Amino acid sequence: MMEQLISVNDLTIAYPMADGEIFRALKRISIDIHRGQVVGVVGESGAGKSTIGKAALGLLDENAVIETGDVSLGGNSISGLSESEFTPIRGKRIGYIYQNPMTALNPVLTIGEQLLETIETHTDKKGKSARAYAIELLEHAEVTEAEDRLSKYPHQLSGGLCQRMVFAIAICARPDLIIADEPTTALDVTVQKAVLDTLKKLAKQDNIAIILITHDMGVVAEICDYVYVLRYGGMVEHGPTKQILTQPKKDYSRELMAAIPRIDKKLARFAVPGGMSKTGNRQRALDFLLDREERSAIAKGEPLLSVRNLSKTFVTPANVVSAAKEFKAVDNISFDVISGETMGIVGESGSGKSTVGRMILGLHTPDEGYQLTYRGKDLPVAKSRAERLELSRSLQCIFQDPYSSLNPRMTAGENITHAIKAHGIIGRAAAHELAGNLMELVGLQRGNVRKMPHALSGGERQRIGIARALSFRPDFLFCDEPTSALDVTVQAELLNLMKDLQEALGLTMLFVSHDLAVVRQMCDRVMVMKSGQVVEIGDCDKVLVNPDNPYTQGLLKVMPRFSFDEAR
Amino acid sequence: METAVEQTMTSRPDKPEPTKWKRAKKVFKGHPMAIAGLIGVTLFILTAIFAPLIAPQNPYDLAKLDILDGLLPPGSRLYDGTYSVMGTDALGRDILSGVMYGLRISLFVAFTAVLVGSSIGVLLGLLAALRGGWVETIIMRAVDLKISFPGILLALMLLAIFGTGVDKVIYALIIGAWASKARLVRAVALSEMKKEYIDAARLAGLSDFRIMTRFLLPNSISPVLVVLPMSISGAIGAEATLSFLGVGVPITEPSLGLLIANGNDYLLSGKWWISIFPGLVLVAMVLCINVVSDRLRDHSNPYLRAKD
Amino acid sequence: MLSFVLRRLGQSSVLVLIMSILVFVGMYVVSDPVAVLASDDFTEEDRIALASELGVDRPLMVQYFSFLSNVVRGDFGTSFVYNEPVLPLIVERLPATLEVAFLAIAIGLCIGVPLGIYSGLNRKKKTTKTISFLTTVGYSIPNFWQALLLILVFAVWLKVLPASGRGDTTTLFGIELSFFNLDGLRHMLLPAINLAIYKICMQTRLARSGTQEVMFQDYMTFARAKGIPRPRLIRRHLMRNILIPIVTITGLELGGLIAFSTVTETVFSWPGIGKLLLDSIHNADRPVVVAYLILIVMMFVVINFVVDVLYALLDPRIRYT
Repeated sequence: MMEQLISVNDLTIAYPMADGEIFRALKRISIDIHRGQVVGVVGESGAGKSTIGKAALGLLDENAVIETGDVSLGGNSISGLSESEFTPIRGKRIGYIYQNPMTALNPVLTIGEQLLETIETHTDKKGKSARAYAIELLEHAEVTEAEDRLSKYPHQLSGGLCQRMVFAIAICARPDLIIADEPTTALDVTVQKAVLDTLKKLAKQDNIAIILITHDMGVVAEICDYVYVLRYGGMVEHGPTKQILTQPKKDYSRELMAAIPRIDKKLARFAVPGGMSKTGNRQRALDFLLDREERSAIAKGEPLLSVRNLSKTFVTPANVVSAAKEFKAVDNISFDVISGETMGIVGESGSGKSTVGRMILGLHTPDEGYQLTYRGKDLPVAKSRAERLELSRSLQCIFQDPYSSLNPRMTAGENITHAIKAHGIIGRAAAHELAGNLMELVGLQRGNVRKMPHALSGGERQRIGIARALSFRPDFLFCDEPTSALDVTVQAELLNLMKDLQEALGLTMLFVSHDLAVVRQMCDRVMVMKSGQVVEIGDCDKVLVNPDNPYTQGLLKVMPRFSFDEAR
Repeated sequence: METAVEQTMTSRPDKPEPTKWKRAKKVFKGHPMAIAGLIGVTLFILTAIFAPLIAPQNPYDLAKLDILDGLLPPGSRLYDGTYSVMGTDALGRDILSGVMYGLRISLFVAFTAVLVGSSIGVLLGLLAALRGGWVETIIMRAVDLKISFPGILLALMLLAIFGTGVDKVIYALIIGAWASKARLVRAVALSEMKKEYIDAARLAGLSDFRIMTRFLLPNSISPVLVVLPMSISGAIGAEATLSFLGVGVPITEPSLGLLIANGNDYLLSGKWWISIFPGLVLVAMVLCINVVSDRLRDHSNPYLRAKD
Repeated sequence: MLSFVLRRLGQSSVLVLIMSILVFVGMYVVSDPVAVLASDDFTEEDRIALASELGVDRPLMVQYFSFLSNVVRGDFGTSFVYNEPVLPLIVERLPATLEVAFLAIAIGLCIGVPLGIYSGLNRKKKTTKTISFLTTVGYSIPNFWQALLLILVFAVWLKVLPASGRGDTTTLFGIELSFFNLDGLRHMLLPAINLAIYKICMQTRLARSGTQEVMFQDYMTFARAKGIPRPRLIRRHLMRNILIPIVTITGLELGGLIAFSTVTETVFSWPGIGKLLLDSIHNADRPVVVAYLILIVMMFVVINFVVDVLYALLDPRIRYT
């Protein structure tokens, strides 16, 4: 039975901005959803996808203006309702699953109180029977010790458990529609799978309609029946999931699909525009970069960096609240990075993968008993200025978060060349020239030299970060999840750029990521980490295709994926 | 929503970087009260600077005073034929002139104390954040010690110990001003230190001094700048209070607080103008500064600014 | 919890010890009590006799340690001016100060918190802008000038409330209190309002910024998305969260309130410890000043401790181990 449940008709939502201009978060969007259907709303940041969910719940910011269209539920328009008229609809008819379960729950109220108040508001179950129902709901959601959990506070539960609580709250009144806003983004991949299965079950068994708002095409492929693709607040195209994934009609959708890193086979490049620039002063930048003084050359295939018995214990010092705690982030690991290769490190959050790189760079001091050999020599604990300079010339880093890895009070150009200028390697005028050249090399306009970081997008900032690392003419780059904060198309462009640079400059890279598919595309060999220890190490073609270790096998299995061969 | 806005910001055609002046104008645009406060502050500062040129009388020149002019109400005609807008005190001093000269002392004391005190605080806060270890422990324990003790009591004690005088008041207020800034800057600097651009600077082998001046300071100073006006108005009030209690500036260099104290004895006998006019000016000035300061703080508050 | 208490106790004793040294050394340099107490016709012998009677002719270290051992025994010395033991002198004035302070806090909380929550919830309304301007005005008027205005208006012009003194008191458990007595209450009102104005402004701002901040949190949006009615949203979700900073800061500011009572008590001739302190400073009555400061520091230590415990009770995220 296909019953029209909620429809968004020609909706335009505008925000007046501080500078007098009007920003339209949604432009003439129409969406229809039936019972029992899982509808995906897909787009990159700025697509306006979250705004749709908020509009359906009347949770738009105070200053939002609905310029055209409306949202109607069961045939009645709900977009003009007041806060008090909306209250009985929320929770009762439309359930909402929040992006980040850790911040969605009130930290000073118990889980039980937050679940029970929702039950008591929307159903006729009160007191004891509400409590019994709450426990039933949690047990249904496969929460162990449900009774006990009710008296806990959110911070005492893990992210996955919090997300189940949020689920229980959203479905307790048996709503007709559930809006799930990026329900898996904040979770590790193993928990992600369980969340998606629950959503699917809700739609199919309870005949609930689900709007799944996400940026992740893998998630869409996994559970959605129908997909809407949004960009910059406008509709790009929509259709049944299979059609959108396999035969996208619009360029943007095609690009979006091509940008998704695939796990099944390694491609030379992502089929997206961008990459290292071919024009301009690229050659002059390359000349500068290739003009490295000859260091004791290491033949291709020999280890450039050897790591032996590396450990790191973090100590949380005693404070007024608690006694000292020790935490072993990295536990006795050893590996080699071969000259000219890209070595990957994968693992879930907290596996210690970034800490390894930070120790190699000298940003953390490892525990006693380690040995780090670089170019056949012990990596010294840099003491003097000259030693530090020598190290930084050779080992550089591309950081994780483009929004915090640039000094916000320096121009883009200053950010790139400040350090080599400070070391006296290059003069003022030459530095300015170099900054421009490097920016062109990494695919930015020369004119961006004078811009402040806040005026640039995340992808542009990350390119500045790459240019800054290159300015030292390094041999070795440590890439610490360099694309995890970026949209998938931007990620593809940047990964292309890094491949180009590696090829042109003969760099050796240590590439950290939580995304197996990204590692598959970027790396020659990979090391899988879990709780500070190495689980498996070997060629990507082996480890990421046919792993020996059950943990790696599990990781591969829970990865959301869709068949790419259909996509061609 | 946040990222949505940002996206369009960057996808817009290139706009020139707004100048400092333009950005300052944006802070106050649409806030008439704050603009009025800004104008008020400017006028008070100008009056204080040019007091000797515009005051009707030099209140320190005892030869010019006439005891016959004593205790005249506002608008009275003085012995020398001029009019006194705000009346006169017991010695026949023109209140308006007294207020103008008093402003000089009050503003000078407050500005000097807050600027010196805050600079010391910022320096110590940055040092604590950057160095950690025993440097941080010593600095932060000293801050705790200072903050566990109310400022006005501390100033009272210091002045009781070292005696009174303009310089002593300034020292007492400096000691009152540094600690909160040190704590503020350290907190901000510590959160900045966690950001990756500091890692990048360390990785680049830059010296601690350069990291502090070029990276940490510019990114940690804004919260201090925002509370600075509030500190200045607080210092003006503190100095007035101390002078009122008789442990502040000496009678030879009367600040607004001392003028109010002088008039206090006459208040109950109905000669209100001696105490009320200096008080009104004091309140007006502090109010102007606070209105501006409120605007700056609201503007810097991300919870409010995101929705403006 | 026990180790937390012990650790805090250790830190606090060090703090009190350091303060006692600072205060003692500071006061030693102040002025010569002999010069203050001696009449003009004193001879040099008289002065030396007086100095040895007061004990100020001994070396500084000796003086400090005899002072410290006396303090531990509860003996803060004898006032030069009143010629009485210092401790009872201060303790008998403490109720008057605390009475006004607590009344002021109560007024501040009762008016400030509701106003603040209202302003935080209705950001765009005219009333909010007026409230916000009035708090700025309240902040801007120095305490002592407020006191003068209050006297001028209520005592001199309207003649409805007395300008000074404590009025009649009722003795309760051996403590003299003005609160349970109409005349006493009339005398208390102006000083209490004087101290409360600043409190009202502070609480309003605290509650307002707390409300604004909490309302933008994800969990508030989620609570709205759950369909929780607004009254409950404010009563449970909002109040529980903003209560934490309000309780903390009110507790910590109690110290500031007692400090400011020196000004208020002086203007209203209110016979509390603040007025005693100021008189003693003017008279160079060293034992009283030293004892006052050490007692105040101890009081702060206790207040801070109580606030920390309260904080732990209110905020489930914090558990002392």
